[in-house]
Amino acid sequence: MNKKLSQQIAFSIFRIFGILVVLILMSILGFIIYNGIQVVNWEFLSTYPEEGMTSGGIFPAIVGTFYLIIGSMLFAFPLGVMSAIYTNEYAGNGWVVNFIRMMTNNLASIPSIVFGLFGMSLFVTQLKFGDSILAGSLTLGLLALPLIIRTTEEALKAVPDTYRTGSLALGATKLQTIKRVVLPSALPNILTGLILSIGRVSGETAPILFTVAAYFLPQLPSSIFDQAMALPYHLYVLATSGTDIEAARPMAYGTAFVLIVIVLIMNLTASFLRRKLEKQ
Amino acid sequence: MKHNPFIRKMLEKITEQILRLSGAITSITILFICFFLFKEGIHLFNNPDIEKGYGLYVHSRNPTIQLSPEQTKKVFDGELDNWKELGWDDKNISLFRIDDAFEIHSEKDLGENYELLPQKLSEIISNDESIIAFLPKKYAPSGASVKELISENIKIGDYFLGKEWLPTATPAPLFGVLPLVLGTLFVSIIALLIALPLGLGVAIYLAELAGEKQRRLLKPVIELLAGIPSVVYGFFGLVVLAPIVQKAFGIPVGETALTGSLILAIMALPTIISVSEDALRNTPREMREASLALGASQWQTIYRVVIPYAKSGISAAVVLGIGRAIGETMAVLMVTGNAALIPHSVFDSVRTIPATIAAELGEAPLGSAHYQSLFLLGCILFVFTMIISIVAEIISKKKNYKTH
Amino acid sequence: MKQLFIFCISCLLLFSCGSKSTDQQTTDASSQSNPRQAVKIKGSETVLPVSEKAVQVYMKSHPEANISVTGGGSGVGIAALMKNATDIAQASRAIKFSEKEKIQESGKSVKEVVVAYDGLAVITHPSNKVSQLTRAQLEDIFTGNIKNWKEVGGEDLEIIPYARETSSGTYEFFKEVVLDDKNYMSGIMSMPANGSIIQSVSQTKGAIAYVGIAYLNKTVKALAVSFDQGKTYAMPTDQNVKEKKIPSGPPTILLLFI
Repeated sequence: MNKKLSQQIAFSIFRIFGILVVLILMSILGFIIYNGIQVVNWEFLSTYPEEGMTSGGIFPAIVGTFYLIIGSMLFAFPLGVMSAIYTNEYAGNGWVVNFIRMMTNNLASIPSIVFGLFGMSLFVTQLKFGDSILAGSLTLGLLALPLIIRTTEEALKAVPDTYRTGSLALGATKLQTIKRVVLPSALPNILTGLILSIGRVSGETAPILFTVAAYFLPQLPSSIFDQAMALPYHLYVLATSGTDIEAARPMAYGTAFVLIVIVLIMNLTASFLRRKLEKQ
Repeated sequence: MKHNPFIRKMLEKITEQILRLSGAITSITILFICFFLFKEGIHLFNNPDIEKGYGLYVHSRNPTIQLSPEQTKKVFDGELDNWKELGWDDKNISLFRIDDAFEIHSEKDLGENYELLPQKLSEIISNDESIIAFLPKKYAPSGASVKELISENIKIGDYFLGKEWLPTATPAPLFGVLPLVLGTLFVSIIALLIALPLGLGVAIYLAELAGEKQRRLLKPVIELLAGIPSVVYGFFGLVVLAPIVQKAFGIPVGETALTGSLILAIMALPTIISVSEDALRNTPREMREASLALGASQWQTIYRVVIPYAKSGISAAVVLGIGRAIGETMAVLMVTGNAALIPHSVFDSVRTIPATIAAELGEAPLGSAHYQSLFLLGCILFVFTMIISIVAEIISKKKNYKTH
Repeated sequence: MKQLFIFCISCLLLFSCGSKSTDQQTTDASSQSNPRQAVKIKGSETVLPVSEKAVQVYMKSHPEANISVTGGGSGVGIAALMKNATDIAQASRAIKFSEKEKIQESGKSVKEVVVAYDGLAVITHPSNKVSQLTRAQLEDIFTGNIKNWKEVGGEDLEIIPYARETSSGTYEFFKEVVLDDKNYMSGIMSMPANGSIIQSVSQTKGAIAYVGIAYLNKTVKALAVSFDQGKTYAMPTDQNVKEKKIPSGPPTILLLFI
């Protein structure tokens, strides 16, 4: 076949594919946003569900998701950052590091439902936390660990070695160097990772099904041993159960909208931060 | 901070140990997951093949010694209704369950703590030669005219090769995971067949053709696709995609393997695009230039030089894409119809392993065979994804190509 | 009717809260270090709307109470009761003998309280011409022996039966009264909740499924069912449930005494 013609055909196919991907995203986002924005108002965000979930709002689900984000990050963020500091600053370049990196990759590839099984078996049953914010946060935290470790490692790698050698040459110890020189300059990148993992954690359903999620709470959870509602699970409930699925649909759109907005904000903030850093 | 040098040194040492410990956290987690999953799962094969604490009883004149779980199911479903089919005389099988006892006898007849129940049960059995009774062992009937059928433990072969998944069937639950395993693989592979050409095309476009402006549009789009929660994809699939698939193909049902695959394909796209784009970009500049200098067109260069060079990276993308699809739970649970059948076409409804766990784990009593069978499903999933992840690692190491 | 539900559940909650607070020191299994003991209600999707409403009413008079309601199906509730993971289980079927045994083995006892009776409704796509079926026909449809609507007097169209997930009380109840304790055909489509059953049936021409009477709406068509070999057919209406013309599963609330 003609060289030029085949090139033109191939390239236009790729271009169409590119446009297609944009269209797919647009149609999903457009569908949810178009239907959701009609429902969302202050009342929807600040009240409890009523009339078999067909009216009222999603306040407890928003608060529940917020608690789960805080809980999981309190656990996973320090741990992930410390783990990354170890592999990047202390462990050198031997098989230990390779092994740890491989394990981190493996952990990242484990399906979220397996985390759910594990969380139920260890936290809910073995450690007797019951269905609780504590159990749910720990499960979600483990899920977010690989993402935090990876982004932190990349952030640490981006710090020039001259910073470290300079600091060490001035007589600072390794710990001081990490604390005063490496971490501060890697911090914005580390925060990007934190924000991305918040986005991830806030959207997960499978790990919280059996560790924390409640169908309905007439009050906010008062301790870490209480169950909590959460946005993704609430969307699942609204989409599949309820006496009047048609009447609950607007509520489902609204919930999906809020969930999407949270994820969008997290992603956009992260990529904004990253771009700003790249410019520096 | 004016510390004594000794204390400072100690502090450094302690911190290093703490850091080392947290460095091991992912390995420890995987070890724990492995341990807890297998700990629960492996016990499945210690369970009897009929419901725990129960037995099957027949009249002593009945020569049957043992029934397989499938036979038991067929007998109690009325599919096998004559003892002739099980190698005895031509007699209709009469079924008896413990609840039937309460229809014949009043609670009063049976005593306060049912202490008279075993005796009544023996009477019932000895009066009916063709009976098969499913009774709790606690109230096991005794006497010369009663015989208990032998029950074995659940067999490993029945689990992995069984074709029926009826975990709550009584008397004999059937734990055949074959339809679930095949369903999971089927949906994932179809998803990959859809996503791979699309993803690869977009990756080539991004790596070779797109200008700065297009890249700046496409990159965040792909990141957002990766960021949308799976339950939102499921909701979209349920409300929008299933009816579309149903109408477009004129099929009776919208909840099909194809619907699931389409959603999974969209979800696997970001992984495939970003990993293969990286691989394409890693092709050395000299190779392209050499090819172009020899008179090849840009497309020929991509097709003959860049893609072959990036082959291992693209394979890694394929493997990781499958891994993403296999483990996906909520979206699949909501759109595939969850019928535990071995799929024959893309328009069949399928039930995947993750969806089964999500739908059934809540109801399974702690420590029951059903509970353990679900953990074993978790083990299968875990092993699948581990293999996939290690294969991807090996492939990408081969060319010293860096994933991110 | 609704008032009655609410009253019953309010009483139960009151009782449960009361008993919890008095013997809080003595129970340590589930209370942990929780200062305000949460009352957990878990189980049947059929009872959920009632529980949700009842909890809201109860909260008005007892704003200090701490209650959580979770769905999942009757089996989920009763399993949670066995695991000591809930205080009240909602169920849309009677507790099974084997389940009762298991709870007793752990040294606890369970009390069944019927809050209401729910009717079983068999539904199809609104365009379906078939308007009545016998129990035996339903059994054949759901065990896979009848596969086409023309075999039961309808048009030439494949029958697509939908069932609930195995955790559902309605699944068990239907199996008991309609399928005569036989198993559903293997590979039946199973939906996680009543809402998705309605959704799927309203979109699928050949569909047939069952739900609690409360879930009926105009997007699906209810069938008259005969339980006496075709002599009389009864539609799922409140009146027929009261007169016991159609089988009614009792959505019961089960209470665990420690």
